[in-house]
Amino acid sequence: MANKLREWIEDRTGLNNFLKIALDEPVHGGAKWSYIFGSGLVFLLILQAVTGIVMTAYYSPSSTTAWGSVYYLQEKTSFGWFIRGLHHFGSSAMIILAVVHMFQVFIFGAYKKPRELNWISGVILLLFLLGFGLTGYLLPWDQKGYWATQVATNIIETIPVIGNYIKILTQGGSDYGNFTLTRFYSIHVFLLPLSLLFFLFIHIALFRKHGVTPYWKMKEEILHNRVDPFWPDQMFKDIVFAIGMYAILAGWVFWNKGAELLAPADPASNFLARPEWYFLSLFQLLKYCQGKFLIVGTVIIPTLAMIFLFVLPFIDRNASRYPSKRVPVFCAIFSGLVGVVALTAVAIIHDSHDVHIQHQKEDSEKQAARAMKLAAKGVPPAGGMSIFLADPVRLGEKIFKESCNGCHMLRGEGGETASDFTNFGAREWVSELLKNPKDAKYFKESGAMPPVKLPDESLLDMAEFLLSQSGNLLNMNTDRLDRGKELVLKGNCAICHPFGDKEAKKVAPNLTGYLSETWLKEFIKNPADLKFYGARNKMPAFEGKFTDRELDALIQYLFTLSKDRILISRREECGKRLTTTSCGQQKTEKRKCAFGLTNSRILTDFKSKS
Amino acid sequence: MENIENSRRKFLKIASHALGVTLAAGIAVPLVGLAIHPWMKETVYGTEDFIHIGKMDDFPIGIPKKMTVTSSKMDAWNIFEGLVIGSVWVVRRGDNSLNVFSTNCPHLGCGIDWGADVNQFLCPCHEGVFDVNGKKISGPAPRDLYSFETKVENNNIFVSYKRAI
Repeated sequence: MANKLREWIEDRTGLNNFLKIALDEPVHGGAKWSYIFGSGLVFLLILQAVTGIVMTAYYSPSSTTAWGSVYYLQEKTSFGWFIRGLHHFGSSAMIILAVVHMFQVFIFGAYKKPRELNWISGVILLLFLLGFGLTGYLLPWDQKGYWATQVATNIIETIPVIGNYIKILTQGGSDYGNFTLTRFYSIHVFLLPLSLLFFLFIHIALFRKHGVTPYWKMKEEILHNRVDPFWPDQMFKDIVFAIGMYAILAGWVFWNKGAELLAPADPASNFLARPEWYFLSLFQLLKYCQGKFLIVGTVIIPTLAMIFLFVLPFIDRNASRYPSKRVPVFCAIFSGLVGVVALTAVAIIHDSHDVHIQHQKEDSEKQAARAMKLAAKGVPPAGGMSIFLADPVRLGEKIFKESCNGCHMLRGEGGETASDFTNFGAREWVSELLKNPKDAKYFKESGAMPPVKLPDESLLDMAEFLLSQSGNLLNMNTDRLDRGKELVLKGNCAICHPFGDKEAKKVAPNLTGYLSETWLKEFIKNPADLKFYGARNKMPAFEGKFTDRELDALIQYLFTLSKDRILISRREECGKRLTTTSCGQQKTEKRKCAFGLTNSRILTDFKSKS
Repeated sequence: MENIENSRRKFLKIASHALGVTLAAGIAVPLVGLAIHPWMKETVYGTEDFIHIGKMDDFPIGIPKKMTVTSSKMDAWNIFEGLVIGSVWVVRRGDNSLNVFSTNCPHLGCGIDWGADVNQFLCPCHEGVFDVNGKKISGPAPRDLYSFETKVENNNIFVSYKRAI
């Protein structure tokens, strides 16, 4: 039956003959491991194509839907994070392999007559790969893609005369918007793949016409006498290579927990853009070409390099393929490679030493984690950024920066008049306050409270008790709490500080419900109240200056400053069933789902990162 | 020599097939896993199981009242708040129990009206007639009116709009 069907198809299509042509290509000089790179690229291209096609079934290219749809793909589908990871890192793998392929071809002298067009079509294919990388980076519409691509489109603008016109055409207007995404999408999934296939067809057809270019020392007679069939001799090596690459790529995706998705693009932010690694050298080059020399870095040097690659077969016309007879072109091309590697290295090293960039990286990771959490409840139709509009923590941060940061320093930034809010409300923050209230971090010279002269462990016990009153302390330790309670209530604290009655007044602040939501609210409203600092107060009262919502938001934000506290909203979510402690622990656990459904990226959520 | 070469090629062919199939499967599994996502998980759904449609006092006893059903809808990544997703006929009975009927005729889905003069539900398309309890009296409908499960909490009426009974 199967045979009959095969015959029937063969009669009408001549499929066997076609397969024979495709697979029985003679490999002169024998199958070699050095020939695997080209077919490796074809394999990666197929991988990019199939992962890309499946992802288009989830992606929606518009400025209001792009981020949300990628978020959904990444976090809510089975295998979405894995497929996106394959596609993302697969593009890097293609660039690496393409460069390796190019150098193998170069070293073997495979661009020489009659293979000039083979080389040129290869250079064109390499340019297409870069085009894929550039257009694909923007599509998630997250902070990184948005700002990195801005740099690229601004570079287009530096092309003399026509630059601005091309820029407007590529981004579909004078600024980024829906048409930028539809255009980049169209280029990424239609224009580039079709053009690439066209040139790939030429590239492979020319390769088949001229055959492989063996190692330059191979003797003529071996080349003529030893002929292996492509199938299975060379194909086997190609498949082994493909499987090896796929294993590494999949491992890399697992290791990195998929591709990164940052917070939705915020045109109002001042995100420091960094391009994908294979564009870093160009990016670094721009730093040396400022002002009227900008065009040297953006247009002239890259164009010259490209022209060099295109005309290489015509410069190096010497028939010999021995490297020793091609020293000048070897010098040229390897100095180019060294230049690219050096520029990339300088860019990476520079960023790793730049405190601002490192801070921004941490912040953007935190913001991304927060975005993931907010988006889980659904992205409003107004787009990715709108998830933040209703987010109290974000609002609280804004209020803190406007109203509090001027006096309260936070992570090295802000005023020094009042206490430092870095790690505010954490166990260590409280215990260090007890240890030395006059410390520059706390009350400075105005600190009227004497230092508590107890071992650090006891101070931590006291902090445990004091903070336990707030009802949102994470991972409470009952032994510590009991010891701390004893120390606080039976020790000297209660002489000055009232405990137990919220309204009681003594010389020092009432510590009933210390740093709880209510305590903080009342304190912020009027710190000069007799139950707080009374006449010694220096902080302005904020009663009537914040709406209830703003005050709630500020408190929520303050709770995020330490890793020991849990958000109010989060506590409510955790519900009545769970104690604060077990809820807190649960947060760092993996989502318990089947393999594909496991949320890979956000294992540590916002709280544990802060 | 020829023989060794032949058996070597034979081995290479088998090995290539085996490796090729392994590779293809390794790629196909996650791809298919992603592609069939809509089978595994609801992608478009209302966010509330029971939707608030009014207070008990809003409904006079024995007289059907048409209410719109407003809910939030999740559509893949998007949430749409306050969407009108349909409407229902609410009938409060003497013992304060409720009947909530679909406004669509069980025949072909036309919108059903309440004929106040005849005290019957009337379908204008094919003259279907139902009594105040949703029971079919005459017409082509194959069954009584579809109804929805309800829940009353503190005088508030909630209806489970997802599944008609």
